[in-house]
Amino acid sequence: MSVLEVKNIQKSFGKTEVLKNISFSLEKGEVLSIIGSSGSGKTTLLRCLNFLEFAEGGTISVNGEKIYDGSEKRSMKENEIRMKRLHFGLVFQDFNLFPQYNVLKNVMLAPTLLKLGTEEEIEAGARALIARVGLSDKTESYPCELSGGQKQRVAIARALALNPDILCFDEPTSALDPELTGEVLKVIKSLKNGDSTMIVVTHEMGFAKEVSDKVIFMADGIIEEEGTPEDVFGNPKSAKMRAFLSKSFENI
Amino acid sequence: MDTFLSVTLDLLQGFWMTFKVFGLTLVFALPLGLIMSFLSMSKVKIVSAAMKTFIWIIRGTPLMLQLIVVFYGPGLIFKIDSLDRFPSVIVAFVINYACYFSEIYRGGIESIPKGQYEAGQVLGMTKSQIFFKVILLQVIKRIIPPMSNEIITLVKDTSLARIIAVYEIIWNAQSYIKSAGLIWPLFYTGAFYLIFCGLLTVFFRAMEKKLDYFRS
Repeated sequence: MSVLEVKNIQKSFGKTEVLKNISFSLEKGEVLSIIGSSGSGKTTLLRCLNFLEFAEGGTISVNGEKIYDGSEKRSMKENEIRMKRLHFGLVFQDFNLFPQYNVLKNVMLAPTLLKLGTEEEIEAGARALIARVGLSDKTESYPCELSGGQKQRVAIARALALNPDILCFDEPTSALDPELTGEVLKVIKSLKNGDSTMIVVTHEMGFAKEVSDKVIFMADGIIEEEGTPEDVFGNPKSAKMRAFLSKSFENI
Repeated sequence: MDTFLSVTLDLLQGFWMTFKVFGLTLVFALPLGLIMSFLSMSKVKIVSAAMKTFIWIIRGTPLMLQLIVVFYGPGLIFKIDSLDRFPSVIVAFVINYACYFSEIYRGGIESIPKGQYEAGQVLGMTKSQIFFKVILLQVIKRIIPPMSNEIITLVKDTSLARIIAVYEIIWNAQSYIKSAGLIWPLFYTGAFYLIFCGLLTVFFRAMEKKLDYFRS
């Protein structure tokens, strides 16, 4: 059974159709990269999965249970949305750490508010996650004292603290200086060894090629091409994909 | 020397009234302003429009006029008992200052990046948890400078209470002109204001410093 099944997701902003019948599925432990040029709907898709936007049509199922149906979204209550959101985690492009809390407190805040254990348990879990992203020496630091790469690693630990079924990354390295992208990508790659299922929206073609089990190329709100990284990068069928690839690599 | 002492005591008494108006206005206007800022940001158009109109009226007319309306209005217009002088002063000041505070809050709240709310949302927090645990302290940090401005203005605005014969420090000082031909007690009140505003300035600076540990 797929951990995530997305069917016919549609979303428009005003008259602009941003997502047109997006469907895909994901098995447990898989890493999916979503690539495509700006404005192709990648970020909107992630935001629909996390209920920061609400799709107007289509369904989202997690572990076989339908958690969202675009045709009946109005009946969803605030609390219901909140609980369903917890199936997903989201790491933002610009981190969005809570500036007034130190690293440890950033990671602990949500589990504490959601009462996911005793304070000692939550703290031990948070420390373990911070160690996992390699920041044990920064637990007491505040976000303003960290580099962009370190901030993003804290954001990853913070998202992992709620143990989501599917962890989403929205261009996690786009706001970083080039020399800092490596440390973040390495952390994301290291998560693959666990059983985290991940969706990564990215412009890092090398990363997508190396780490993903599956790649989706989006253009103008549709899935233009999907498959294994070998297929999509090595043997692209669509003209748009070929054009996108040649542009991506000519930059380098 | 005796005169100086008795004038000082008299002015202190007047300043106690000034301080009461100041303190009570803050106690009620600070929370009321927050509620009003939420109403003015409401998604229900009619609510936000009503609130904005109200704020426009209060900010667009003199506090002096508002004091007179609160004190005399109920009796003259609705033929009901007016509030006593002191409660009238408090009501007028609270309404007036709550409007100014609400605009400061609104500015602070709207300046917090949307990403902070979204981060709270994807972490499963409730709306009130997001506001109180994530947003509020960042707002407080941002609004300290405009708030301290407004609060220092309030110290001096309290002298308007005399319009409806509430005996605050200026009133007491001015009475010496008629009763004893003395003008200096009036100038002397300046020292009271200066010292009190100085203390407030120190307090706000300390508060800014305390929140200096983070940047948002």
